[in-house]
Amino acid sequence: MYVYRIMLLLVFGGYLLSPLLMSGWASPGVAWYRPFAIWGVLIALTLWLEQKRRLDER
Amino acid sequence: MTLSLSAVMLLGLGYLGLLFVGALAVERGWVPVRLSRHPAVYILALGVYASAWATYGSLELAGRVGFGYLAYYLGVAGAFLLAPVLLVPIQRLSRAYQLASLADLFAFRFRSRWVGSLVTLISLLAVLPLLALQVQTLGDTIFLMTGTGTPSLFALAFCVMIALFAIAFGARHARLHARHDTLLATIAVESLVKLAAMLVLGAYALFVVFDGPVDLQAWLDGPGRSAQAGIEQLDPTRWRTLLLLFFAAAFLMPHMFHVAFAETLSRRTLLQAAWALPLFLLLMAIPIPLILWGAQRLGEDGTGIGEAYYAFALSDAAWLQGTAFIAGLAAASGTMIIISLALSGMILNHLVLVALPPGKKLDLYRWLRWLRQGLIAAVVLGGWLFYRLVGVKHDLTTLGLVAFVGMAQCLPGMLALLYWPGANRKGMVSGLIVGSLIWLLGLWPPLLAAFPGLILLPPGLEGIDGQAPWYLVTLVSLTANILTLILVSLATHTSAGERAAAEACSVDAVIRPKRLPLIAANSEEFKQQLARALGENIAEREVDCALMDLSLSPRESRPYALRRLRDRIQANLSGRMGPSVAQDIVDRFLPYRRGDGMAATEDIHFVESRLEAYRTRLTGLARELDGLRRYHRRTLARLPVGLCAFGDDGELLMWNDALAALTGIDGDSVIGARRDNLPAPWAELLGRILTAPHSRLYKQPIELAGELRHLTLHKAELDAGEDGHGGKVVLIEDHSEMKWLEDELVHAARLASIGQLAAGVAHEIGNPVTGISSLAQNLRYDTDDPRILETASQIQQLTQRVSRIVASLVGFAHGGRHVSGHTLSAVSMADITDEALHLIHLARSGEDVAFENRCLAEPKVQGDAQRLLQVMVNLLGNARDASGAGDRVTIETEPTGDGLWVSVVDEGEGIDDSVRDHLFEPFTTTKPPGEGTGLGMALVYSIIAEHDGKIDIDSPPPGQAKGTRVRLWLPLNRQEVAHANEPDSDR
Repeated sequence: MYVYRIMLLLVFGGYLLSPLLMSGWASPGVAWYRPFAIWGVLIALTLWLEQKRRLDER
Repeated sequence: MTLSLSAVMLLGLGYLGLLFVGALAVERGWVPVRLSRHPAVYILALGVYASAWATYGSLELAGRVGFGYLAYYLGVAGAFLLAPVLLVPIQRLSRAYQLASLADLFAFRFRSRWVGSLVTLISLLAVLPLLALQVQTLGDTIFLMTGTGTPSLFALAFCVMIALFAIAFGARHARLHARHDTLLATIAVESLVKLAAMLVLGAYALFVVFDGPVDLQAWLDGPGRSAQAGIEQLDPTRWRTLLLLFFAAAFLMPHMFHVAFAETLSRRTLLQAAWALPLFLLLMAIPIPLILWGAQRLGEDGTGIGEAYYAFALSDAAWLQGTAFIAGLAAASGTMIIISLALSGMILNHLVLVALPPGKKLDLYRWLRWLRQGLIAAVVLGGWLFYRLVGVKHDLTTLGLVAFVGMAQCLPGMLALLYWPGANRKGMVSGLIVGSLIWLLGLWPPLLAAFPGLILLPPGLEGIDGQAPWYLVTLVSLTANILTLILVSLATHTSAGERAAAEACSVDAVIRPKRLPLIAANSEEFKQQLARALGENIAEREVDCALMDLSLSPRESRPYALRRLRDRIQANLSGRMGPSVAQDIVDRFLPYRRGDGMAATEDIHFVESRLEAYRTRLTGLARELDGLRRYHRRTLARLPVGLCAFGDDGELLMWNDALAALTGIDGDSVIGARRDNLPAPWAELLGRILTAPHSRLYKQPIELAGELRHLTLHKAELDAGEDGHGGKVVLIEDHSEMKWLEDELVHAARLASIGQLAAGVAHEIGNPVTGISSLAQNLRYDTDDPRILETASQIQQLTQRVSRIVASLVGFAHGGRHVSGHTLSAVSMADITDEALHLIHLARSGEDVAFENRCLAEPKVQGDAQRLLQVMVNLLGNARDASGAGDRVTIETEPTGDGLWVSVVDEGEGIDDSVRDHLFEPFTTTKPPGEGTGLGMALVYSIIAEHDGKIDIDSPPPGQAKGTRVRLWLPLNRQEVAHANEPDSDR
């Protein structure tokens, strides 16, 4: 259940900070794939939390 | 115009034809079930979210607002990230009450068919632009590739194919809430196809148009910067609003609700989708900017074919154009199939069946199926018509945003449904109407007639005037919707039915159903009652289906089980006709009994079974309390004494393990039954204690499995406290063993009294025996006749023998101690055996048994001759009694270093194993009743122990097939001891 709180925090925090994602569009010096890399990290984090939740509920 | 019309039609219809073949393969079982039911199929089917917007609309949005297009993907990813707290509760409700659509869910929660109808209307209005968007992409791409003047007619051909597919594979069953493996597998394949096509297009842009990532980055940092000049960066508020719209779409859009909840798999799979669906969407999103930049590098600036279709500008190659077309067709067809299925169900349940109640139909299921199939076709063709009349005048972004803003009007209601039990139907309807009106007035006039929308900004928000209409309408409509919902809910009354439904829907609440009795007393009466509404055949099928779902017996009559049966029938009917109609039918024809003074108490057993299912969701204090509840529950269940509890209404609430073991009746089969419905003899026995004025019934005899048992029952009254849970608890102890022991004790006491009697008799016999002995002595002096002298001598010996026997009996009666006064002397076992044989022969029985005394005269043992004689008499008597005619009994001695073994070997029946362990215990005998006292071997043991000897029993003896060998070991030299070696009472 504590994992759910982490997820809630993650989503709410992501919602507030997400406008930063858009700033990199075609800006010089910013890799074009940066938003996707951040997104990929978030997916990995979710996968890790999902594993943790399953252990927590076992 | 790189392809001919026939080639494009062949490609598109060929693709859809292949889908038909694939679906047929799944349906016929040619595809292994483990594959078609794999969780990955379900997760890929959720990819239905990625409609033609994901393949074309996102390109258009990216061309206008840059990375702002990601909101479409990140919104839904956020919703799935919250799956445990947002989607799983919806899935739980949807599954428990067979709620196949958003309208079903709202109608169930707010106990109003009007809410269901309203949500259906809003969904229909919101989805039409989305359907038109799908059709428009088909028409536009056909035009782009072929240049034909009538792309809409060819788009219609695709729509007909899609409607046929949805009818063939999605509307076979009358029940909406059923998993359609074929359909899911098809949608999953479509997701794979569009993903593969998008990745191919992205890779083409990256590696063919550009020379890899480095070249792309160099272009973006250099010449590409000017091409991005037209990009408008979304400000944070607009971005967040867009994100919110797509977040809501993840579970409010009819097609998403249908795949996520109606085509339900396990909770675990839904949780797996929390990361797997965002991963799928990430892969779908990556090619979008690559295609956009690729087309820009090739010279496209948006004035030609429009950003949405830039994929077609990457190359004139037919295969690439075909890939871009198939990506869109796969996305659009999947979305249209599921939307048509979901929306047809909503229209059927909340518009058609509300206006035309089903009534008694000969074949209700077929009638429902036809209606659904007609509605599926109507929805798809409605989408095409909307595209023809309205869609063609607008771009994809406009159409899509109208749809998403419309569906978002259900978001406040959904959040209230899950998290605010105080919301009521008036608040919900008011909020929905206000929000929807703002949406209709703000976005639909420009959509339908190119009139400006009417957007009234509240005071204080004038500063945002001039922003995009979708943004203003979203902001104002949702704010008004939420405020109206809250204020009206707070200001108006909430009905009891709504409160109960609110508890059932609330995330934190456990359903607490009331324990009301039903008028129908068994499943047969259920069928009769339901037949009045549905007809006999359908009623029988529905009741049988519900009984099977719950694994209940057709003869079920337990009130608890009947309540569950009623709930299940309602849920199943809800799956076919929607919750409003189902509730009407069940409330009318399967009503609860009311007004007989019976208080409605909570269904504790049901609450407990729910708590078991919710265990992992409890936190903090609730989890601690649940832990305590489990501990107490376990204590009662494992109590080694039978326990059962009855509610105030006489319904059985608890039946613990010990009672199940005692009665042979499993708790699950009787919990929820009334006391008088329990199997015999328990109904009568428990009735006796429950109605008895006193709290105990002592040792009630009952027959269980052919065996007489004695049970003691204790009763305690449970006063209804603040929680209102009153009743009675009954403890049932099995006192059968204690009763047997008591009987044994009485028997032993009787034998002890015989011992005492024997002591008295001995005392009385002693005098006449002494007199006989004296007279025999005198006789010896009065005659010289050798015969008379011999007789007198034998009389004296026998009188002495009588005295010793009586003394031994008295000794045994005094706890096994022999009477003092005997002295130790050297005793020849050969002589003792002779004398014993002599005495044995006085008895009339056993005359045909041969005794053989092989004892050696030497060595002699130290002992009491009389008591050793008693031992030999007992052993030889037993041997004689065990032997048959012609058998032989052999007595022999064998000296060892410091002792002598004396063996008595017979050829009799031997000693039974069950007796052998108790052979030396008093009252143990193998002889028929009345022939043996069971004291002989106990006496032997006692005497041998006094002599510091030991006894071995072999039955049969080594080397013999039958018989018994008793071996005594006696020491040769022994000091007289003061009887310190008492017999081991434990033997």
